Amino acid sequence: MADATNKGLKIVVVTPERAVLDEPADMVVLPMFDGERGILPGHAPFVGQLGPGELRIKLGAATKRYYVDSGFAQVTGGVVNVLTARALTADKVTADMVTKARTAADALPSTNPVERENRTKALARARGLAAVSKKG
Amino acid sequence: MPNLRSLVKRRKAIRNIRKITKTMELIATARFKKALDRATEADAYTRKIAELASDLTKSAGDVSHPLLAVRPEVKKTLVLVLTANRGLCGGYNGGVLRAAMGQIREMRAANAAFDLEVSGKRGAAFFKFQQIPAAAVYTHFEDKPQFDEVDAVAQKLIDLYTTGAVDRVIVAYQKFHSIARQAPVVETLLPLSSVAVETTRKGPAPDPAAGPKGSYDFFPDAAGILNELVPVAFKVRLFKCFLDSAVGEQIARRVAMKAATENAGDLIKEVSRLYNRTRQANITKEISELIAGSEALK
Repeated sequence: MADATNKGLKIVVVTPERAVLDEPADMVVLPMFDGERGILPGHAPFVGQLGPGELRIKLGAATKRYYVDSGFAQVTGGVVNVLTARALTADKVTADMVTKARTAADALPSTNPVERENRTKALARARGLAAVSKKG
Repeated sequence: MPNLRSLVKRRKAIRNIRKITKTMELIATARFKKALDRATEADAYTRKIAELASDLTKSAGDVSHPLLAVRPEVKKTLVLVLTANRGLCGGYNGGVLRAAMGQIREMRAANAAFDLEVSGKRGAAFFKFQQIPAAAVYTHFEDKPQFDEVDAVAQKLIDLYTTGAVDRVIVAYQKFHSIARQAPVVETLLPLSSVAVETTRKGPAPDPAAGPKGSYDFFPDAAGILNELVPVAFKVRLFKCFLDSAVGEQIARRVAMKAATENAGDLIKEVSRLYNRTRQANITKEISELIAGSEALK
């Protein structure tokens, strides 16, 4: 890992539709399924599951904020790969979207385990959206 | 002898049609480029998922996930047929529908129950005519399928499969091999054959030396992540089917419209020739009548 430490950090975000982001960063904060995890240069190789929430990218004094749906993160050799179904800049997350997501999640049925699981996921998504929109 | 006026009218009509087909060809070309770009962009994701899956399987060993398990008895099959919303694209719809119909006939002969889901107005109309009821019809997929929309369909399929409502999901669509070659295929989507998603387009091959060997920290753990990865792999595969069909439709339309434009050109030439010949014949006739008239006056 000696080579990774002085190379800095690169963040790559891809969704099925397009490559959203590929740029250098000083620090990346990933929204994991159970909390947040900060990645600094020289981080050990790591694969983790993301939850819906806020992805922060710090470069110098600037911090970029994104909303990402659940997905996966892979850290290897100074590159943070984020694979997610959706990635939006935080200012695109509106209160309207949050309410919509929440009502849609609430309206989902929960009669069997599969439906319950889907509902839980949808609710988590709404919570993630809410958290991002509140900050913005 | 054809009427001169009607020939002129006919030629004009063909010219108009040629203009339209020419424009449609240009539009299809532009859309095809866009669709292909989207498909290439999607490949990055697909490749990364495949990489991740192979890394994970190395650490977690074999996984058993409900979506991967092959069921011993297939009671009900779900057939998803991806066609276009619009026609005028040569054999595109026909090819996919023929492939789907073959599959359906086979299942009917074997007395196997199946549900039909159709995307595209063309397919919906076809199955209505064949009097095969479709359980669901999607007509909102145009030449730019959005992942969110495909995600909803994929989630529904996953739910149907995991609850046991269906035991197999197959899809009939136009597979993209290369720009010059696409073919209608029938593929089994569920149970998933593997987590890895094949890529047909050429991209930078994953460099075996690039990734660190093995030693990842997994969070929560390799098996847990892999379990989450399986549905994603399925969704990506379905999304790829939709993207492939979108690209295929535009290619087919471009080819069909190019042929139509050329045919219209040939037809114009033919009608022009006929027009000129008729015109000349008319003149000759008139002159000979004139001469005959003047001869008679002598």
